[in-house]
Amino acid sequence: MIALPEVRHILPRDQRRWLALLLVVSLPLLHSGCSPVMNRFISRMMERINGPIEPVKNKIANPLRPNIGLSVLWVGHATVLIQIHDKVFITDPVFTRTVGMLVRRSVEPGLDPSAITRLDYTLISHIHLDHFSYGSLDLLPKGGKLLIPVGAAGYTPEFGFAETREMKPWEVLEKDGVRITAVPVQHFGGRYGFDISWCPNRGYTGYVIEYKGITVFFAGDTGYHPELFKEIGRRFRIDLALLPIAPVEPREFMQRVHADPKEAVQIFEDVGARIMIPMHYKPFNQGLEPGPAYTQGLLERVIEEKGYRDRIQILDIGEQLVLIP
Amino acid sequence: MTIPFCPPNSLPNKLLLLFVFAIIFSSTARSQESQSSSKLASWIPLQAVPSFTVTSRGDQSAFGFEWEAAPLLYSFGMTRLVSPWYAFVVEPPARFTGSIELVATGQINTAKIGSSYFAGSFQLLGHIPLIERGEHLGLNLGVAQYYYGGSSPVYAVAGISTLFGIVHLNVKHSAQPASWIGSLEIRLF
Repeated sequence: MIALPEVRHILPRDQRRWLALLLVVSLPLLHSGCSPVMNRFISRMMERINGPIEPVKNKIANPLRPNIGLSVLWVGHATVLIQIHDKVFITDPVFTRTVGMLVRRSVEPGLDPSAITRLDYTLISHIHLDHFSYGSLDLLPKGGKLLIPVGAAGYTPEFGFAETREMKPWEVLEKDGVRITAVPVQHFGGRYGFDISWCPNRGYTGYVIEYKGITVFFAGDTGYHPELFKEIGRRFRIDLALLPIAPVEPREFMQRVHADPKEAVQIFEDVGARIMIPMHYKPFNQGLEPGPAYTQGLLERVIEEKGYRDRIQILDIGEQLVLIP
Repeated sequence: MTIPFCPPNSLPNKLLLLFVFAIIFSSTARSQESQSSSKLASWIPLQAVPSFTVTSRGDQSAFGFEWEAAPLLYSFGMTRLVSPWYAFVVEPPARFTGSIELVATGQINTAKIGSSYFAGSFQLLGHIPLIERGEHLGLNLGVAQYYYGGSSPVYAVAGISTLFGIVHLNVKHSAQPASWIGSLEIRLF
């Protein structure tokens, strides 16, 4: 018979009962306290946590080009590298393996951050973990300006950018011929969930970039609003709209704050853009829909119905499109 | 204004005076928008969430609940757009991106430590960011003076913070009298 070693407990028996009681009460509360929808989200997240990260083949090593009008490189999610002539912009840069420590990417970033040799403007649409990544911002050149929505300064570390500036809705920043306008969108604030009331009606924005006669609209993360985007369309003559098309499901949960492909195309029509590039549907699968292929399929169906094959350009992660040579 | 049972020039009373100054100072130093009532409305109930402690001192040991407040915090990791001074309401990044804070705690133990079930402390803590500006992992270092019934030992504090600076795992050690406190602290603002 094997003699078990005597266990010396740090706590006496009555104290251990308290600890056991606490665990017994708190663990079911932690689990059942979540809504059924939240439980499905957590299950989805746990499924992905050990999944493979698909590599991006033929990554572009030198994305910045001389003598170009407008080029766009989709890095993934809401991260887009935009070059308009000699000016370089990046939106919501995320290069990390996870967002929020637990939501893991399914495809690696479409660009190595070291390939970005200079940046004039880094645009942050809001402070959610999948759009405002501290670790990713540390990887980028700091010579340019960091623009954040009003209400986000309290969540912004000092990254060392030449200038950090909060932008109010419709506020304009103009320098060296570049004109950037923060435009209102429909989303929600906070970063960690418990601070959602921290910036209830602010802390999120879209941006319109104008330079040398070219206008690009970056919507960040938004739901559809019947008036907001028409107003943006009235104020600007937009060449390119970068619009989010996911997460899609559950629709009743997502609709107010996340446009689905059909609503994104409606935004595209409302702002009157010439070209639309969809984003924010991979590599982080945030909704309960089957996956990015499903979302892309929904978009392709709308493209067919509306006859927008030439105007809505679906990019792969890491693909660069030269729209104006 | 003094703390009952403490001499007027004692450390707790000096710290109380500092708290009062901190509140007055912060109300003028911080931006108007961060003083909104909606922030306070969400901050106040979150302060009820307890932290968990295990105290071992000689032949006494107890499991306990602890509540913390930060009457004064200086953040050295945030953008220059916001004041580095905070009082009580502290957005998590202000703490985990690098800060020094004064913390006041109240503790209820499930067994007596010294001669009381209750304890309190004042702590001076430094937070050093390690990974993702401290949002994923940070280091905590500092000192704490605990007040039990009949004694007030000084502890050295060391630990880590993780999960967006919300979860802190700290170990506190006092040589005289020899005692240890292990704590799982939930810091929401």
